[in-house]
Amino acid sequence: MSRTDEREDVPLRDRIGENPGPALRWLAGALLLFALEAGAVVNFVTGLFGPGVELPTLLSRELIPNNGYQDPATGAWQETFFGLSPALAWAVRVVLVYAYSFVVAWWLWRGYLVFREHYRYADWTPKDDMIDRLRGHRWGQFGALIVFAFVVMAVFAPPLGPTTVERTISNPYSYEIQYVDGGEIQSATVGEANLAARSQGSPDQNVGPMQYDEYGRFHPFGTLPSGKDMFTFMMAGARVSLFIGLLSIGISGFIAAGFALLTAYYKGLVDLLVVIAGDSIMSLPRLLFVMLLSVVLSGTWIASVYNGGLLLALIFAGTGWPVMWRAIRGPAMQVSEQEWIDAAKSFGQKPRVTMQKHMAPYILGYLLVYGSMSLGGIIIGVAGLSFLGLGISPPTPEWGRAVDIGQSYVTTASWHISFIPGVMIVLVVTAFNALGDGIRDAIDPESESGEDEGTEAAAAAGGGA
Amino acid sequence: MSRWQYFGKRLLLSIPVLVFGASITFLVIRAGPLDPVSAIIGPQGDPRAMERVREQLGLNAPLWEQYIDYMVNLFTFDLGDSWVIQPNTSVYSLVASYAPRTIWLGFWSVLIAIFIGIPLGFYAGLNPNTFSDYVASFGGIVWRAMPNFWLAVILMSVLSQSEQFMFGFNWENWLYNTNVTGPPPLPGDIVTLLTSPDQFARALKKIAPAALVLGSASMGNEMRIGRTAVLETVNSNFIETAKAKGVPPRSLVWKHIFRNALIPLVPIITGEAFLLIGGSVLVETVFNISGLGYLFFQGVKAGDMPLVGSLMFIFILLVVIINVIQDLLYTIIDPRVGYEGGA
Repeated sequence: MSRTDEREDVPLRDRIGENPGPALRWLAGALLLFALEAGAVVNFVTGLFGPGVELPTLLSRELIPNNGYQDPATGAWQETFFGLSPALAWAVRVVLVYAYSFVVAWWLWRGYLVFREHYRYADWTPKDDMIDRLRGHRWGQFGALIVFAFVVMAVFAPPLGPTTVERTISNPYSYEIQYVDGGEIQSATVGEANLAARSQGSPDQNVGPMQYDEYGRFHPFGTLPSGKDMFTFMMAGARVSLFIGLLSIGISGFIAAGFALLTAYYKGLVDLLVVIAGDSIMSLPRLLFVMLLSVVLSGTWIASVYNGGLLLALIFAGTGWPVMWRAIRGPAMQVSEQEWIDAAKSFGQKPRVTMQKHMAPYILGYLLVYGSMSLGGIIIGVAGLSFLGLGISPPTPEWGRAVDIGQSYVTTASWHISFIPGVMIVLVVTAFNALGDGIRDAIDPESESGEDEGTEAAAAAGGGA
Repeated sequence: MSRWQYFGKRLLLSIPVLVFGASITFLVIRAGPLDPVSAIIGPQGDPRAMERVREQLGLNAPLWEQYIDYMVNLFTFDLGDSWVIQPNTSVYSLVASYAPRTIWLGFWSVLIAIFIGIPLGFYAGLNPNTFSDYVASFGGIVWRAMPNFWLAVILMSVLSQSEQFMFGFNWENWLYNTNVTGPPPLPGDIVTLLTSPDQFARALKKIAPAALVLGSASMGNEMRIGRTAVLETVNSNFIETAKAKGVPPRSLVWKHIFRNALIPLVPIITGEAFLLIGGSVLVETVFNISGLGYLFFQGVKAGDMPLVGSLMFIFILLVVIINVIQDLLYTIIDPRVGYEGGA
């Protein structure tokens, strides 16, 4: 007994020190992967304090440019990657971005395996079973795959777009492009080119998905009615949605977990107070209350952070925690009835330690499940707000605004403006729900009960947007 | 705890919820950074006029006095006047003219969801792991992930040019000549609506697309939960016993399976009413139906805080009433309520 106690006390660092080989090999690979993209990180960090420092990066548009013009004499593309057509050059970059992301994800998984094989004491833990169950869960894997694609979109938004938000949306008249007209190379500002590339519904004034405009620019999702590239718009919008979703789920999950532990531990009056507070917030129609709050608070300094993204995240967190708390209150109550909690209490353990060590691990999984499901609801809610012209202030891209802009073109040649964002929302929300299902079945294979689903439905609905 | 004690406890609990909810609204509207006076006369208004409005609104009194006034007014159902949208019109008359369309919309969207979602879910649950089950389940999952506003935009556009997309079927001229958008032609009183089949059908046709969209999310939910509930009931021990006892299949399905499978659906159906209040804003905006959600949205945009506050109170009241009805239904349907210690 005393021997195992001694071993337990050895921290992970010393365990690695005893057998550094596998860890070092993994670390070398991780550093190599990081070095390929280090330029982007440096650029992002320095960009917070001023103009970003440019370093050569694997997945940058400078290395694989896709904007160029066709040489009038030879017909070959100039200034693009290896003289490929803009569509191909862009495709190469997208494939590279996803390949890189897959390798990173796979390497992280390898890292966990290395830890499991060489540095973990236990040969088996319940977590291994959960992972095995998730590996056999096709529906959950489908969700995880789409969620992964969505997260990559948000993280790698700048290199994924055929052009940048700065060039085509914020400041189109400050950048020039070169094109060929009447056998000669000429230059025009991006703004002028956008005017010719507008999608206005009629067949002669439309740039649909996978088409080139008159200036030799490629538009994977076509253009907006203003002529701006929609793929760039969608990628930047994914970043905004994911930021708001993750931040608000993080905050409301933290509040919900805290309250769930407190109410399950102390019960009685504390429980009653939180029930009343939670029910009161839930009795406000969520979407309407969010609308009201976003208008009332639109003049404050907090609304100017990230174009209103931070404010929206806080609003969704403030109105969303009761739903999450309701969902995890049951499991927390169950844990608090266990004998080991009683033992810890009579042993004289501090309430905070009991909650953290003996109760929190059991509700963490449920938190993940409901967090994943509510995230879809928040994405729909944010999109609904921008559809109404509230929330994220233009010109910052948001998917709901594209649906709004394209409303009158749905049955025309420019159907893509409203249609594509809607399909992407449906896919992403379905994926988050599927991932939640998968995690639920993994942590609690016996759960499949109709009673949980009511709360799930409430979590996934997003206030009816 | 007996069932009725449980119900009484829930009823008692709804009072602080109502008070608390109204207080949160007060905090947002009056103590928030938005100045209702400048919304009423504009930011560059005459200072004297501003002072007068301030006085009339009672904004010069200390906050706690305003709070007491506000709460007393709300709980005596003195909902006050609108200030910006339609100045000096009482909230009651505004609600009276806007609410019927929302109620008509909400009524049909609940019905559509119940009559399509639950039967489909039960069918899928009774025939698990067949092709039709997969189609229905997958359809339900995707259907509920669809944003209302997007579905509304697509449906509206397709229906308004239906010859092009639905093989020559013309929605706008079908049965009655209507536009896809616009408020439903509701007659002045409810008796005419219910006694005249022509008026009834006309109003129904007009609201059908919007109701279908608004009911979509709940439809998906009801389907999914109906399916799991039936599956779970079918596999439970008492069904096994009933089968062994020789209960005929028809009575097994209707009496033993359906009644039990309906229990988890109760909060979904009542919760649906809750979603309708929120979702109606988007659907009403797209279909141009001037209902309560639309009124609320206009009020928020124009900064008509007295109107917004009163509307919010009405919504909270509705939600609390719906919750009480839900508990009542639970108490009646499910004899186990109150025994499992859940509050």
